Amino acid sequence: MKTLNIKFLMIVLLALISSTRSYSQISKAEIRATGLTCSMCSNAINKQLKKMTEVDSVATDLNTNTFVVYLKKENALSPMVFKESVEKAGFFVGSLEVTMASGQLKSNPNYILVDSKEIVPNEEVVVRILDKGYMTEKEHKKLLKAYSKTATFALGNEEDFHIKVVN
Amino acid sequence: MKKVIVVLVLFIISQSIKSQELFVVTDPASNVPTGSLSIRLGQSVFKEKFEEGYNYHFMPEVTWGMNKNLMFRASVFVSNRNTELVTEGASFYSKYRIYSTDDLNSHFRLAAFGRYSFNNADIHQEQIEIVGHNTGFEAGIVATKLIKKVAVSSSISFEKALDNKPNYLFPSTQGDNATNYTLSFGKLMYPKKYTNYKQTNINLMVEFVGQTINENGKSYLDAVPAVQFIIQSQARIDIAYRHELYSSMLRSAPNGVYLNLEYTFFNVSK
Repeated sequence: MKTLNIKFLMIVLLALISSTRSYSQISKAEIRATGLTCSMCSNAINKQLKKMTEVDSVATDLNTNTFVVYLKKENALSPMVFKESVEKAGFFVGSLEVTMASGQLKSNPNYILVDSKEIVPNEEVVVRILDKGYMTEKEHKKLLKAYSKTATFALGNEEDFHIKVVN
Repeated sequence: MKKVIVVLVLFIISQSIKSQELFVVTDPASNVPTGSLSIRLGQSVFKEKFEEGYNYHFMPEVTWGMNKNLMFRASVFVSNRNTELVTEGASFYSKYRIYSTDDLNSHFRLAAFGRYSFNNADIHQEQIEIVGHNTGFEAGIVATKLIKKVAVSSSISFEKALDNKPNYLFPSTQGDNATNYTLSFGKLMYPKKYTNYKQTNINLMVEFVGQTINENGKSYLDAVPAVQFIIQSQARIDIAYRHELYSSMLRSAPNGVYLNLEYTFFNVSK
């Protein structure tokens, strides 16, 4: 009986460890794309996003080239996939905001907060990705100066996401 | 005609409404989406200058986006120059996006392109045209810029004609290589405000296409005004008229109309 309990505990622990190692689960992503001029170009991005099996639905504002992507539960998508989708269609990301649970955000070392705003526990939080390729080049250059104290920011490591809490 | 075109160009430049760069007779520096496959049925009817009648060209085309920077296109040339429809040749085209910078309201892109074509038709003019007439190759660069929502695209290329094997050698009395230059403007006319992907978009464009034979300086310059319909954000209909503004070379049929139908299949490959 005792050994069974220990085994059970170990499995639970293993499951917990492995789950925190994957990306924090994103429930929604709001992407603003730059450099496009037509609905056919916008549709190219729309189709790239929709082809991902993790995507539940995509809502588009064609006038601002904003795509709100709703994701299925239990997905393990990284913010990088949204950047790749937009770039595959031939365009670039002007801004990317993702919605996720605050607990998951805190436990993932790949997400680095650059502002001092406190994250409320056990709530959904919307954060903006501030790294290169997730905003216009001009805006990123300004941020490089503003966040010169955050050592990892200038490194541009693809796995690290520097974030600012939007709300 | 010249005045009309100048006025049209100034009108387009002065407007600050979203524009298009899916040009009819030239290709912008922007690439097609990764994994997309588009099929175009291009048709043109040009009026013969030195004889009665018209010549009809049919040009089916397949375009594939291999990745965000590289695309390939294959075309087949069919024409009725010899009274009945005959497949005269084919062409392979590739374009690579070298440089791209985007801002919220502007973008600038630079691409290099190359084309190789073969054709077995008779050589009947001084103009070198490897799209549908000559065997040969072309290499060039194209730049596309969006300024305050107006798209302007320009290209320069080197084109060399070879023999139209097996029966027609390139005439030794003619210059066999040329410099081509193009300048294109495009503007979205409808809708003023987007509501969904099903809306038909209407674009107006005007393109200038010129060539100078390097050996003797003989040149031409054409203007191509066009109207384009984008249907369901997936299909395209282009109607264009090509008009010779100036020419110092022999061209057998410089003026005519184009009708292109195109459909894009997204995410055909990864």
